[in-house]
Amino acid sequence: MAIDHECSCNKNPLVPSLCQVIDVKQETGDVQTYTIQTMDGKKPFSPLPGQLAMVSLLGVGEAMFSITAQGEDYIQCAIKRTGLLTEAFHEMLPGQVIGVRGPYGNSFPVDDIKGKELLFIGGGIGIAPVRSLIRYCLEHREDFGHMDILYGARSKSDICFKEDCLENWSKEPDTNVYITTDISTEDWDGHVGFVPSYLEELGFQPEGKKVILCGPPIMIKLCSESLIKMGFAKEAVITTLEMRMKCGIGKCGRCNIGSKYVCLDGPVFTLAELDELPDEK
Amino acid sequence: MYLAKKDLEKALQTLSQKAVVFAPILETIEDKVSDAKTVEKKFMPYFDGAEVALEGFNTVKPPKDVLFPNVEKMYKYKTGAGAYIMELLPEDSQKIIFGIRPCDMRSIDSMDKVFLTKDYVDSYYAKRRENVTIVAFGCLEPSRTCFCDSMGLDPNQAPTADLMMNVAADSEFTICNDCGTKVLTDDGKYILTPQTEKGKALLEQLKELLSDGGESYQDTKCSLHIVKAENLDEKLSKMFEHPIWEKVTKGCIGCGTCTFVCPTCYCFDIDNENHGAEGCKYRCWDSCMFSDYTRMAGGANPRPTKKERLRNRYLHKLEFFNERYGETLCVGCGRCIESCPAHLDISDFIEKASLVEIDASDYSEANYSEGRM
Ligand SMILES: Cc1cc2nc3c(=O)[nH]c(=O)nc-3n(C[C@H](O)[C@H](O)[C@H](O)COP(=O)(O)OP(=O)(O)OC[C@H]3O[C@@H](n4cnc5c(N)ncnc54)[C@H](O)[C@@H]3O)c2cc1C
Ligand code: SF4
Ligand code: SF4
Ligand code: FES
Repeated sequence: MAIDHECSCNKNPLVPSLCQVIDVKQETGDVQTYTIQTMDGKKPFSPLPGQLAMVSLLGVGEAMFSITAQGEDYIQCAIKRTGLLTEAFHEMLPGQVIGVRGPYGNSFPVDDIKGKELLFIGGGIGIAPVRSLIRYCLEHREDFGHMDILYGARSKSDICFKEDCLENWSKEPDTNVYITTDISTEDWDGHVGFVPSYLEELGFQPEGKKVILCGPPIMIKLCSESLIKMGFAKEAVITTLEMRMKCGIGKCGRCNIGSKYVCLDGPVFTLAELDELPDEK
Repeated sequence: MYLAKKDLEKALQTLSQKAVVFAPILETIEDKVSDAKTVEKKFMPYFDGAEVALEGFNTVKPPKDVLFPNVEKMYKYKTGAGAYIMELLPEDSQKIIFGIRPCDMRSIDSMDKVFLTKDYVDSYYAKRRENVTIVAFGCLEPSRTCFCDSMGLDPNQAPTADLMMNVAADSEFTICNDCGTKVLTDDGKYILTPQTEKGKALLEQLKELLSDGGESYQDTKCSLHIVKAENLDEKLSKMFEHPIWEKVTKGCIGCGTCTFVCPTCYCFDIDNENHGAEGCKYRCWDSCMFSDYTRMAGGANPRPTKKERLRNRYLHKLEFFNERYGETLCVGCGRCIESCPAHLDISDFIEKASLVEIDASDYSEANYSEGRM
């Protein structure tokens, strides 16, 4: 049997490349952002907005993370400490050698949303994938209409990417930023309340708008209901799914929802597409 | 062309000169405590004097691990100073799977689709697959749980094998004392039909043992005939919330046996093993029937109970795989039925699902008509 090695990566897709962490940034009490380069100082690969990287701490384990940003010679992942592996990631210092493979997943439909007004909604660490698209849209600002960014975190200190959320983005042309926290604290004079109710309060108009919605499952569920109530079509709401993953390339069977593999066919789906999948999300 | 049964051993010896030949071989296992002896038929490398048993029932475990081993090293690495990652690919050795049954051959076709198509080629599987030649054997006697013909297969034919082997119609049999199945006498004949270039090359190696003739072969039928709706996959796509699931998944104890004996189950886990600063990443078979298979950080689990897990397994076999790859992933080999300690029966499920009403608001056995035919 002759096997056609028509692999999109031209090499063994399950073996990571050695990379190094060149910068570690404490975002919140339990989130750190890592800037990652190849050993010879290059960009590991050029992902599309919303794509994923399988990051491994050799000898400990590997897990999937959204690539939240990229530059000329780096990619960035923001990792929340939730368990054994992510705890080990949080011990990393600049210079740490890691394994990286990817990019994986389908990415946000940048062509589909061209020329549209955009409403970005993020909750907690869920802002990580959204940020990759916001950055893309800001780099190609003239391709997109008005942008609204709505982000919710537990408290001020839980806000990820503080410079972007609290300073940079609101200075961009034709861009509004709305930040809310679940609880009120002394250092916070902004809006207090959960994302779904703030969303309804802000009352965005659905005409000509696409929504990008990422966050914890409960937030996605409630925001989706609010958006539908506000008149948004399910085709206009784009979200991401999280399932446990091992291979990242649609082989190991781990991340299926119905006949779809989230690692390959996702993680980006519209609400309309999610409706087609069995209710196991 | 045919090969006389008495020359089978010679044929295997000849083939073993150029490749490792995995054949169904009887292994006697002695229990040291009770002295009891059990005989198990397994695919293992042929050796002189091995008791090869092409006839009889299919093996308890499929020869899946020749292509997709239970545990497979993927790369080794070193952490800290002088860190490296080094890919570990299977070595380039030729293998022959000799005497695979049509159901297990069809399973390899499905695994080919998984590992070799859809954007990524799995390097480990590809390397093994390229170096394997497959000789299929048309079943002579199905076991009581065989239902491959209800799943659209033919127990006499494995069209994608490199070489097809069938028992000639005019062969004679004796009955095996141990297992009660039909065994070819020494005068019996196997008809060999090459189906690919690799198959022709094997025949070439065997040519001195072959004789002309041998056309018609023993025509075998499965023992278990079940009702299967023509469009079962479409029907199941509308039955995700059907009350049938509660009922059919009831007895399952989540042991995972069904997935380990199944020739088409391909899920794997990835883990590592460390020795100081060095270590090795490996993959190993996993089972969607285990509760932590889909558990995420913080304990959230999209498939919290056996109902969701077994539903996913059955639907993967009968609906999801069809949607993704255009064929059913259950080949009707009956192994999971034979091995389940709780007597769950996928053939019974297929029949019930084929007969039940999609919109039924409750489900009881009486909802579907007469069971097995
Ligand atoms: C598409 C996708 C994008 C993600 N993006 C990010 C991100 O940008 N930032 C971030 O901090 N986290 C992200 N995650 C979640 C991240 O993969 C998990 O938090 C991480 O695997 C937890 O590992 P742990 O070993 O520390 O937790 P443990 O509880 O020790 O994990 C046990 C096992 O479960 C697996 N697991 C646990 N939680 C998840 C999960 N949510 N998703 C998948 N596998 C899980 C782990 O791989 C591990 O094998 C993403 C997950 C997916 C699937
Ligand atoms: S073998 Fe039977 S009891 Fe065990 S997991 Fe499979 S269906 Fe459940
Ligand atoms: S599901 Fe059961 S009957 Fe079907 S192929 Fe797997 S082991 Fe055989
Ligand atoms: S992670 Fe292996 S199939 Fe998606």
